[in-house]
Amino acid sequence: MKNAFLSVARVFRQEWHLMTHDVGLLVFFIVLPLTYPIVYTLIYNPEVVRDIPVVVVDECRSAASRQLVRQAAATQSFGLYGYASNMAEAKDMWADHDVYAILRIPSDFDRNIKIGEQSHATLYCDMSLLIRYRALMSSMTDLQIALAGDITSERVDMIGGSAAGFGQMPVESKSHFLGDTQQGFASFVIPGIIVLILQQSMLLGAGLLGATAKERRRRGGGVDPLDAGAGPVATVVGKALAYTVCYVPLTIYVLHFIPWMFALPHVGSAADYLPFILPLLLASAFLGQALVAFMKEREYVFLVVVFTSVIFLFLSGLTWPRYAMSPLWHGIGGIIPATWGVEGFIRINSNGATLAENAHPYLMMWALTAVYFVMAVAVRCFSQRRAQGMKAQAEG
Amino acid sequence: MSLLWQSIKRELKRLASSWTALIMMVVVPLGCALFFVSLLSEGLPLKVPTSVVDLDHSAMARQVTRALNSTELVDICQKDESYEAAMEAVRSGKIFGFFVIPENFEKDAIAGNAPTLEYYTNLTYFVPGTLSFKGFKTIAVTTSGSVAKAKLSAVGVPGDMIMPLVQPVAIDSVGIGNPWTNYSYYLTPSFSFGCLGLIIMIFTAYTITIEIKRGTSRQWLATAGGSIDIALMGKLLPQTAVFWAVSLCVEAILFGFQHFPMAGSLGWLVVATLIFVPACQAFATMICCLLPNPRLALSMVSLFGILTFSFAGFSFPVEKMYGAIGIFSYLSPVRYIFLIYINNALNGFDVYYVRYYFVALLLFLYAGMLFTRRLKKSCLNPVYVP
Repeated sequence: MKNAFLSVARVFRQEWHLMTHDVGLLVFFIVLPLTYPIVYTLIYNPEVVRDIPVVVVDECRSAASRQLVRQAAATQSFGLYGYASNMAEAKDMWADHDVYAILRIPSDFDRNIKIGEQSHATLYCDMSLLIRYRALMSSMTDLQIALAGDITSERVDMIGGSAAGFGQMPVESKSHFLGDTQQGFASFVIPGIIVLILQQSMLLGAGLLGATAKERRRRGGGVDPLDAGAGPVATVVGKALAYTVCYVPLTIYVLHFIPWMFALPHVGSAADYLPFILPLLLASAFLGQALVAFMKEREYVFLVVVFTSVIFLFLSGLTWPRYAMSPLWHGIGGIIPATWGVEGFIRINSNGATLAENAHPYLMMWALTAVYFVMAVAVRCFSQRRAQGMKAQAEG
Repeated sequence: MSLLWQSIKRELKRLASSWTALIMMVVVPLGCALFFVSLLSEGLPLKVPTSVVDLDHSAMARQVTRALNSTELVDICQKDESYEAAMEAVRSGKIFGFFVIPENFEKDAIAGNAPTLEYYTNLTYFVPGTLSFKGFKTIAVTTSGSVAKAKLSAVGVPGDMIMPLVQPVAIDSVGIGNPWTNYSYYLTPSFSFGCLGLIIMIFTAYTITIEIKRGTSRQWLATAGGSIDIALMGKLLPQTAVFWAVSLCVEAILFGFQHFPMAGSLGWLVVATLIFVPACQAFATMICCLLPNPRLALSMVSLFGILTFSFAGFSFPVEKMYGAIGIFSYLSPVRYIFLIYINNALNGFDVYYVRYYFVALLLFLYAGMLFTRRLKKSCLNPVYVP
């Protein structure tokens, strides 16, 4: 037992030495987790889309239509770009990217209000980005409700309805947003992305070190001069511990200081999210060592790991919720540590959930840690046997 | 000419003997496109799991619950007896929102005391949060409307006058090009192009700098008669041909088999793709010329390539980003193919309106040729820094 412990300690020390003397690795282990969260937050930090330029085609030209435009322009998303004389001109402005929507007020708009009919206006919205469409839609719905309040009470008065106790809307409604109360984009996306950054940078780094060792071994004819010479289990554990220890300060920086610096939602307790993220780090450290099986040389880490970031982002359910995935993708998402990490960390960080409420993702990550540990040991055993073969060949 | 042919033959031999090349150039880009097509095939993640907290238990409250369940946006998958219970379900991820019907709801509504329906949506997940918000809001507003209708007809207002009273002004919205608000129509083509661009850049940087690492760069130059431009052409043209075939396959999958909307002309999108592939290669070549070292060049294209997915403005508009950040979007070929896609295929604009994006893509080809002399120097004197 004491022997095993010493082997792990030896591997740990050797790996730590390699880590601190490899510039390429320091990019993945230090620069990437330090800068990426900041860059990502800066990209999305404007949070909401306001004052989207809209052009108005007013075919009615009445007091009522001007009133409608004024009230629309007072909403958060609607930015009045100007008037166009007809739809063709408005379409041209849209095609030139001067405006992203066209509000068309038909010629009978005013007349219908006066005779007590329902008036219609149409908003033609550019659909190239959903976030613009969503913002305009929500403003238009609020506008409709506000107009209903104004005009309805006037009309009800006229027909004597208020005498019957009908003055306002009979049922009020109130909306509350949880987690991301300002409906901001950075507040929604960053808590998920930072967890993914932890996993991906760990995979890149662990893969890079493993592939470099493989290269050294090949050059040395089956002998890696810098290998600590421990058994497969001790090697895998020692390396994973070295990476995890290196990640402790980075994890605190990424999970605590990034939301704090940018005033993103951050209501969870560190006593919940720090223990929660531990199995993610361990599972990633083991998975990174297992992935070395696919890497012939250092540079392969770019070919194998980089594009998976996009795939893992989608599988985590951040953009497309997991409940709507087919069983196949739901299952594949389930074997990625970050899927569970993103899910649980968002709830702890943004919704104030506790570790106990996230028992399911937590246990899943421990299960993945066990699975990837076994895989990493298997890969290590296999490559050691191959190295012995190479060595025998070189000697014989 | 024969030097170019010799270089091409050399590269073809290298590509044909490597499984990595086949996987990176064909399997991964096609796999990514198929992944997005398959993952997002529903178009919209409808039926968001939500809950109702019914504190009234009246006939009218049950009617509201039924109305909620009948919308396609939300699925009332559980009922909770209190706000706290529903909140705990949100925190443990069982539901994305809940709708609260207050005590004495029916009584107050009929008596004219204006009870308040409250709804809570968890916006930590944007899409399900937005959809459940929309579903809840619709039901809250229509409930109010139907109570108003019932009351108005009770006081003797004729039927045809009620609707104009409840909703005097209706603003109809028309989503041009994608009236279904299908998410896949945004995400699948843009992320497929994005992945394609990322892989082209990584693979180009890998194949160029690996010559320096292996020390074969002198022989590579010698095959091209000492001209770095011929050597690069010979190396990249075979890859261009493969990536062209792959990108056309991706477009065939999207617009042919999957019937993605194509309001403009497919021809121009194909032309854009044919320029996009060498533009990405040229971008990576430029990086390799400036940083002729495998690790630095690959780190650079990877780090930038991954950020491109955000810079390119697939989901957050570039004009609303900070200026100092948004400017990077113009440095990426992916941004231009994305703009050509949305303007041509979704909005159906004439090619006149996207002319500058074509010019920008062509400029990348020029940029790729700028610093080749630097690359030649390091090829003649290959030093591998790990």
